[in-house]
Amino acid sequence: MENACLSMWLNQLILTNYKNYKWEEFNFDPVINCFTGLNGMGKTNLLDAIYYLSMTKSYISTNDSLVSRFNTDYFRLEGHYSRLEQHEKIVAKVQPNKAKVFEVNLNPLNKLSEHIGFLPVVFIAPDDISIIMEGSELRRKFLDNTLAQTNTTYLSHLLHYNRVLHQRNAYLKQIANEKNTDAILLDIYDEQLEKPATYIYHARTEFLKLFNPVFNEIYQKISNEKETVGVEYQSKLDGDSLLNLLSLNKKRDVFLQRTSVGIHKDDLLFTLEENPLKKYASQGQRKSFLLAIKLAQFTYLKNCLGINPILLLDDIFDKLDPFRVQSLINHLITNFKGQIFISDTHNHRIPGMLTDLGVSHLHKEIIDGKWKK
Amino acid sequence: MNFSSKLLENAVKALSTLPGIGKKTALRLALHLINQPEDQVESFSRAIVSMKKDIKHCQVCCNLSDDIICSICSDPSRVKKLICVVESVRDVMAIEDTNQFRGTYHVLGGIISPLEGIGPSALNIDGLISRVANNEVEEIIMAISPTIEGETTLFYLSKQLQSFQIKISTIARGVAFGGELEYADELTLGRSIISRVPYSSISED
Repeated sequence: MENACLSMWLNQLILTNYKNYKWEEFNFDPVINCFTGLNGMGKTNLLDAIYYLSMTKSYISTNDSLVSRFNTDYFRLEGHYSRLEQHEKIVAKVQPNKAKVFEVNLNPLNKLSEHIGFLPVVFIAPDDISIIMEGSELRRKFLDNTLAQTNTTYLSHLLHYNRVLHQRNAYLKQIANEKNTDAILLDIYDEQLEKPATYIYHARTEFLKLFNPVFNEIYQKISNEKETVGVEYQSKLDGDSLLNLLSLNKKRDVFLQRTSVGIHKDDLLFTLEENPLKKYASQGQRKSFLLAIKLAQFTYLKNCLGINPILLLDDIFDKLDPFRVQSLINHLITNFKGQIFISDTHNHRIPGMLTDLGVSHLHKEIIDGKWKK
Repeated sequence: MNFSSKLLENAVKALSTLPGIGKKTALRLALHLINQPEDQVESFSRAIVSMKKDIKHCQVCCNLSDDIICSICSDPSRVKKLICVVESVRDVMAIEDTNQFRGTYHVLGGIISPLEGIGPSALNIDGLISRVANNEVEEIIMAISPTIEGETTLFYLSKQLQSFQIKISTIARGVAFGGELEYADELTLGRSIISRVPYSSISED
């Protein structure tokens, strides 16, 4: 181990009514855990449960009511972690019409946002390729996910900004119906947005300055190429203040009944050799880009927090030849010393490779929300 | 729940329409009322009916009142130059219980929250402006909850009032009295450090 005080791992996980798990208990290996099984057996759900305990929400389902098992309406997760040589028991309880409860060592948290960043986590899934191909929302989600885990002030400004933005949008709808334009209240919302927006803009700018060198180094290592990659921050706040932008767009906003400028419209431009990735990259380059951006997120979290995040790899070895799988596994083990969870549809491919490499690991076959005993 | 009496069932149903009262509590209350002397139950129901029928909103401050003008606004010993702006009647009661305030109140009837359909026009803001315009008011104290919607309301009111030559203040935000620093949340504690007060003004009471 590189540094004992960097370590954090999940020892035990108990799922009740989580997606297709009725009740199941897992005891994990501190280094590598591998789940295999056919599609639809619950491998992704298991990784998602681990993500849930870190981020207080699912990576895959946006609505908690979709998380509990079919025909049930509540779920519970219990995780036992070893974190900086302390035992931490985290329990999540979600019931309909009741506030979501998170308990850390039996103490319920007042605010769920306090928990974000306590157990850093990085999730890599095949669907993540949409971060490159699809709308800007997913790229902002990536930014926010990383910054929220490392900077609690960022998260509180973001929550504040979103709340005011919702109120402003609701007000824009209201005045459209009433045909009265009380400009004073809009001005007030603008002023309330200014402070959190400025903070978020600067935090995102600073983050990308630190992120890009790490990202390039990792990309070049895993792709074995000398190409340079980049993540460029695109924000209207670059060179203008939000107050100014909002007042310029006021008429438009009233017409559209929503707020058309602000940090909720920021985007990231992904580049390969200074060209937009979306247009110029091959399938393989996209895949390497995605993997590198997530592993750079891992490194960034580790550097900021002084704790190795948990790495969740969902079916990422699909369509890779055995040689590439082996080199990737080797790279992960040597360079990313966090606890790793891997899911794969092949029963023996990854476990066999790990055995050959002489790496201690746990292998469980998942069948219909149970592990094969 | 099976009832042997339709009369009991009706009473239980009526009681369980109250906030925070479930079926079982409603039953307990109804059975208790059955065992009370009749005149006591009658005076109980009279109290509720006459409250509903006769209660008014004070024409000056919108506080609940028996008369057109409430007992606080009509009290000659209250300082009329000082108006404390609050969200609801409950806040008036909470501040009255402190015995620290000798001015008058203004009840807004809510805070600005378009998400819940409450715009500025739904609140008693015009009443406040005309009070300030037509009377000698020196200071407005905003006693509004320090939430995002509370801040919006506060900004809005202070913009509406800025043309008048009056002092506008807000209640202090900070560490709770008798509370321990290590248990204060970061935001509150941070704010208390930034808006700290000179020591002498704490000790005078």
